[in-house]
Amino acid sequence: MQFQFENLEELLVMAGHGEYVWTAVLVSLLTMAWLLVKPLQQHQHNLRDIARQHRREQQRQTTNEAP
Amino acid sequence: MASSKGWTWFYRLGSPRWFYETTGRWLPWLGAVTLLLISIGLVWGLGFAPQDAKQGNSFRIIYLHVPVSFLALAGYYLMAIAGAIGLVWRMKLSYVVMKSAAPIGAALTFLALFTGAIWGKPTWGTYWVWDARITSMLILLFLYLGVLALQYAFHSQEAGSKAGAILALVGTINIPIIYKSVDWWYTLHQPATIKLTSAPSMHPDMFQPLLVMIAALYCFYALALILFTRAEILRRERDATWVRDLALQAESSRENE
Repeated sequence: MQFQFENLEELLVMAGHGEYVWTAVLVSLLTMAWLLVKPLQQHQHNLRDIARQHRREQQRQTTNEAP
Repeated sequence: MASSKGWTWFYRLGSPRWFYETTGRWLPWLGAVTLLLISIGLVWGLGFAPQDAKQGNSFRIIYLHVPVSFLALAGYYLMAIAGAIGLVWRMKLSYVVMKSAAPIGAALTFLALFTGAIWGKPTWGTYWVWDARITSMLILLFLYLGVLALQYAFHSQEAGSKAGAILALVGTINIPIIYKSVDWWYTLHQPATIKLTSAPSMHPDMFQPLLVMIAALYCFYALALILFTRAEILRRERDATWVRDLALQAESSRENE
């Protein structure tokens, strides 16, 4: 197994095909990253939301119990 | 009863809490393996695999195009099966999995079309042709988006899930059409690189990194599916005690930071 390119520039240019290959790589990695970041954000958001809702319900209960 | 014991795993699998807690332990490992496999596969495929005699370096797009297409198709089966289990057994978790599979499948199908179009330009001289393979993949994208949208189109979550599951099941007819499209119709698209029934049509030096990337995408898919499913479980089980405890625990650990 051998590295196919002489230097970094050749790897980027890929004998004229670099723009196609690297665009495909970049868009794929960004889309895939989004598929991980999005649910993680949603997860955090839901946890916060649930805690806030619980707090509100508790407050309502204590005000109702007060005479 | 002996027979009932054999089914406990099946019912446990349907428990959102069990799923949430078990997958929580897997996540760090699965994440590490996914990252490792993607790194190895991409460096190997983009830098070390020999270039194609006819297509030159543009062929390297195969290391993304084939794996994402694989998972776009496999993910559809998974979504349809999850929908069917939901319809038949009313298993809570399976509708959650179905819902989670839709955005992942849509994104991967988009990537399959996008990387295919970019590969088409230097190879066929055009980004897009309305041939059977590409058109049926476009239909797959619309099916995913349809399942995604249908779930929000009803007031009741149950009705939305049912409608989504039925559309997912009807849409499975498209999958064999996609697989067979390169054989049934004349097309610019090259025939399948990998077939279960015969040796690969590629040189091993090119084929091995492709296998690594396919394994990487399977891991990635599992990771994304678990993450989406866990977030949705919290939303649907928000009134359960264990979810509330989890939320309060997370809040207090944020405050302590």
